[in-house]
Amino acid sequence: MCEANIYIDRGSGEELLMEMVDRVIPGEENNIFMESIFGERRVVKARIREMELVHHRIILEEIKEAAEVQTMEIWLEPDTDHGHFHEGEEVSLKLLKGYNMKAEPAAGFKNTKAFVTNGGEKTELHFHEHDGDKNLIMGQETEGLIQVYAVDEERLYAKLIVEIGHHHHHGLQPLGLPLEIVPSSYSHARMGDNYEIQVLKEGKPMAGVEVRATYAGTHNRDYPHHLTTDSEGKARLYLTARGNYLFTVSDEGIISTFTLMKSF
Amino acid sequence: MCKNMPPLELAIQFHGHVCPGLLIGVRAAELAQKHLDITQDYDEELIAIVETDSCGVDAIQAILGCTFGKGNLIFNDYGKNVYTIASREKGRAVRIAQRFGATAFRESERFRQLNRKDSLSEEEAAEKENLIGVLFEKIMTMPPDELFAWEDVEFKVPDKAQIHATLQCADCGEGVMETRSHNTEAGILCTPCCQKRGGEAGV
Repeated sequence: MCEANIYIDRGSGEELLMEMVDRVIPGEENNIFMESIFGERRVVKARIREMELVHHRIILEEIKEAAEVQTMEIWLEPDTDHGHFHEGEEVSLKLLKGYNMKAEPAAGFKNTKAFVTNGGEKTELHFHEHDGDKNLIMGQETEGLIQVYAVDEERLYAKLIVEIGHHHHHGLQPLGLPLEIVPSSYSHARMGDNYEIQVLKEGKPMAGVEVRATYAGTHNRDYPHHLTTDSEGKARLYLTARGNYLFTVSDEGIISTFTLMKSF
Repeated sequence: MCKNMPPLELAIQFHGHVCPGLLIGVRAAELAQKHLDITQDYDEELIAIVETDSCGVDAIQAILGCTFGKGNLIFNDYGKNVYTIASREKGRAVRIAQRFGATAFRESERFRQLNRKDSLSEEEAAEKENLIGVLFEKIMTMPPDELFAWEDVEFKVPDKAQIHATLQCADCGEGVMETRSHNTEAGILCTPCCQKRGGEAGV
């Protein structure tokens, strides 16, 4: 086989993706790189379904992964794009339901509760409903780090660490959720940071589990990042996008998210 | 500012978006800061001579504070990713040149193809976004000596930018810097008015 035409099946039959391809290199995170003899290059998220060498055809199957299922998840977003709140400023959050940081208003909430923990004390929060939105208005909190989490359908969890004031790097304990994502060392995250999280199941590190990561405003239909935890349940992501990130882990029907607030 | 912005974010905010060219400028500016032990310019302590007018220059302006408006950014239109940064206080200058082919990653060409398109499909927009992410990590984590060649150079530091008197153009009535004005038979003219009267272009 010399050159081949590459076809992709996005779920509705094969379509020609690139002609006269002479290089195909499978990369990380399901990326397949291809280059034609004309110098055209493309990278797609797909798997190779079949190589018809006699007919010079390579058929790819687009990877939609969880997008096909579109399992709904919940996540918390701060009502600020500043990355943190100031002391004396009203702390306001939103609980959203959808997929890949794209809210699906029709998804609906069920048996939803929210809690705030500060220094070991846990207090239930009450939602302010407005046009179908679920808002958490917490008032003026004193300086420090507080953790807020919500639970929906008794199996969907969302967690957010709210920074009030500046630069708090210590004193964070896991909340003890059945499935929980914990930042390894809380610090104000920046673009260009290699950010590390740890997955805990019933409080114990969970090795070899997939953690998906996305960011606000992504054009990707599905999560752009797929990480796997190491033997300590840890995974790292190099932050290259503006805005907040969302990390998500699933296990035995439980879906748990962690929103990473960034100031830029 | 609530929190000091790191250099990378300063550059992105100034430039408006993230692209490989800007990131190369970020790396060059950070290298100059480290090599010369300098911080951001306040009032022409630093001078930058850039040999390109591409995205990377915005990082030089945002991070080093050598700006077009302050007059300590000198542009030589050579079409080269070369930045010479000089410090008056240190009496030193470093010339930083991007190595040929240093960022010729396989993702780069596809990124350029997409960047040239007037409009992108949703799929292409996602592909471009993912390519930026890959290139971002590669460029920002490359060892400096793989990305650049740099050396100390002799540099005659120019005088600080001068503030000149403003004269009034006899034709349009607008103000014009004295050194850019034209003393003609019709009086003091700015360049556009001088050209309208058939005068020579330029100053």
